[in-house]
Amino acid sequence: MRIMEAYVGEYASGKSEVAINRALSLLGGELPVTLVDLDLVEPFYTLRPLKRELEAMGLDVIAWETKDVLGFGETGSLLMPQMRWALQREGHVIIDVGYGVSGSRVFNILEGFAASELKVFAVLNVSRPMTANLEDIVEYLQGFERLDGLVNNTHLGDETDLAVINQGVELGAAVAEVLGIPVIATAVEERFQTQLGSVDRRGNPIRYLKRYMEKAFW
Amino acid sequence: MDKLSKAEKRVFMTGNEAVAWAAVAAGAEIMNGYPITPQNEIMHYWTRLAPKFNKKFLQTEDELSAGFTTIGGVLGGKKVFSATAGPGTTLFQEPLSMAEMMRIPMVLVVQQRGGPSTATVIYSQQEVNMVTFGGNGEGWRIVYSTSSHQELYDYTIKAFDAAWKYRFPAIILGDGYQAKMRESLLMHDPQERGTALVQPEAFLGKPGLPGRDRPADHLRNAFSVEEELFEAAMNIQREYDQMAAEIVEADFQQIDDAKVVIVAHGVVSRAAVAAMNRLRAKGYNVGYFRPVTLRPFPEKQLQAVAEKCSNFLLVESALGQLARLFKEALFNVPVKTFQTIYKPGVGITAEEIVEHIESHS
Repeated sequence: MRIMEAYVGEYASGKSEVAINRALSLLGGELPVTLVDLDLVEPFYTLRPLKRELEAMGLDVIAWETKDVLGFGETGSLLMPQMRWALQREGHVIIDVGYGVSGSRVFNILEGFAASELKVFAVLNVSRPMTANLEDIVEYLQGFERLDGLVNNTHLGDETDLAVINQGVELGAAVAEVLGIPVIATAVEERFQTQLGSVDRRGNPIRYLKRYMEKAFW
Repeated sequence: MDKLSKAEKRVFMTGNEAVAWAAVAAGAEIMNGYPITPQNEIMHYWTRLAPKFNKKFLQTEDELSAGFTTIGGVLGGKKVFSATAGPGTTLFQEPLSMAEMMRIPMVLVVQQRGGPSTATVIYSQQEVNMVTFGGNGEGWRIVYSTSSHQELYDYTIKAFDAAWKYRFPAIILGDGYQAKMRESLLMHDPQERGTALVQPEAFLGKPGLPGRDRPADHLRNAFSVEEELFEAAMNIQREYDQMAAEIVEADFQQIDDAKVVIVAHGVVSRAAVAAMNRLRAKGYNVGYFRPVTLRPFPEKQLQAVAEKCSNFLLVESALGQLARLFKEALFNVPVKTFQTIYKPGVGITAEEIVEHIESHS
């Protein structure tokens, strides 16, 4: 069955990293995998520098390349035509929706969005002070027009430890309960693989992340 | 809620957010601003924090207005700041000059983007000329060039204190990379640590009749004759020089046995330190020097380095703007070799610096 997922969330919550890793994890099957870099607010601070590398790994990447654009960020919002039709592509489609709540107001310009089976998942890092407690997180996530699930992505970069991860798992569970949506997965950097296994302390599947975005030298 | 949480906490965020939180920690009351990438999230996060911390925000019609309304707020005794970049920094020169002349402690965060003109929204170190000596006059500003989110946070707090203590405009100089990249930092409330913040006071509207109950305040940016200006300028310069000795800052490492010293500021200094460490591991005697304050410039610290090693590799994402300050500081000081990596508007990696030094030694 084809998978169609969009990742949204607070600015700098880790959407791109989660989306890239999700798309790469779907490679190897019969269906092609498309990764869409859907950021109309700031199309330059995105996974753009990684496009070629990700394509070489087997993904179809819909993202701007530097040579394709003129006056990036100063000439109004540009929608790449392929982005508009992304939901019509064959195979799996993973969409990285940039720039928080305001960035997520982009779905209505995707052809066939209303009738599609696209799932919209929020990525949550509770180490970010704007989304650090239940009340603030719920208030923030209620700003999204639609959410079908939550992905815990709580970390502190290189300083992440198990306590930080578990804090995110617990708070994520509370948030999911209030919002009435499921926790889809907990995203954890791959160096924790031997310590954590395949599920987190609440039984949510763990998605191990390889970090790609640190190579994005804008 | 008008204060940050008492508990110090490690957090993960972008540089722009770090500035907004630091402004709250510094006791800033108002931000006046006009949107421009890459500083926008300073405004976005300030406006999200404002209702929670009883802060105010004014969006002005342009950066000239943002600068002058900031001055207006300061005259009224409020800690007010703004943030801008690129062409916005150009427009800010007028209010900055006024603040120099009238000794107004305005605080400005500059997240450098490409130039000249609109150029790119992304990154550069091409606003060094402009933040140090961009206005008419003598460049009586304080400029802190940061290199990490922790520094953006700490120096934003420091800039408010320095501005209000010495009554000069203070600039926190970041760049688009620092603005947008994500890393962890320790958020803290300086007052919870027992560090008293310099308190603002009103310039205008003080109680009593000027001349009778208290001395009159003469806040002047206009003078009738040359002699008046001369006296005022010399007084300000004297006070600037006195301040300079107290606030000037530099960072340097591994100078004593260095055969070459890498000079960089801001985010590029991270590449310089990484390159130094990699080269040291390979047996090269490499040191590093970084001015933290670009105005006033750490001349004596640099001269002391040059006495030990005067083979320099200066690295910047501009065409010689840091180099201009560097050369001025070393005027009449013997320098054996001076090499450069200039990449205007483009980032510089540790690998490039390592390769340069390996291929030139």
